[in-house]
Amino acid sequence: MEINMRQEKQLAIVAIIGGVDALTSGEVNSFLSQQIEDGKNRILVDLSQVDFMSSAGLRAILAALKESRQQGGDLSLAGAQPGVEKILKMSGFTNILKTYPTVAEAIAASGM
Amino acid sequence: MSIRHQITRAAEYQSLATLRDFIEATCKGHPGVDDQVLYDLKLAVDEACTNIITHGYAGMNPGSIILEIDLSPQKITMTVTDFGHAFEPCETPMPNVEAGLEDRDTGGFGLYFIYQTMDEVDYECTEDGNHLTLVKRF
Repeated sequence: MEINMRQEKQLAIVAIIGGVDALTSGEVNSFLSQQIEDGKNRILVDLSQVDFMSSAGLRAILAALKESRQQGGDLSLAGAQPGVEKILKMSGFTNILKTYPTVAEAIAASGM
Repeated sequence: MSIRHQITRAAEYQSLATLRDFIEATCKGHPGVDDQVLYDLKLAVDEACTNIITHGYAGMNPGSIILEIDLSPQKITMTVTDFGHAFEPCETPMPNVEAGLEDRDTGGFGLYFIYQTMDEVDYECTEDGNHLTLVKRF
């Protein structure tokens, strides 16, 4: 699994590539937490290249979501593939954070 | 007529991707298995194995996980076997998927996903190990 980040004005776009499971979710957790600590509390997680995510991945996203909102920011998701989209719906995550079909739509919606 | 496949791996997180790849290699292209069914199969086994690795062998010497896959025209049967502590899936409370962010617990979704994606879930503790049987029909 790889993690890349780019800044789009005030939005930190974090792209995850590969599978997020119990082995790799810790790295996602640490990376997102570090960005928030560095003051980047408006985060868009690009899931378009995530071919698998388990509940461990959801835990990492939930932790970062809570942390970002505690810091006055927010975290949203974009580009989830059908399998990942399904677990986001099953878990009710789509009710507690914003999800977008593409990164472009997420950026447009953020007003950046 | 059914076809059986089997793999054994160490009960460690590094084995999860290998087990998912085994499911893909074994089940992809089988009649009735589309991309979503394939994801469901991988998810259920991944969650089950994560529980085994995290809890099943806790306090014990590292053990192994055996995954058997039985393909038939109407269904796929996967059996996950371990030799660690017994664990009763039906005794674990399900998470509240309606909860708001403040009330969200970080755990509990693994078993929930198994029950949501599989048509049958059975667990048996025997002298030959703990056997979790997962059935997906199509």
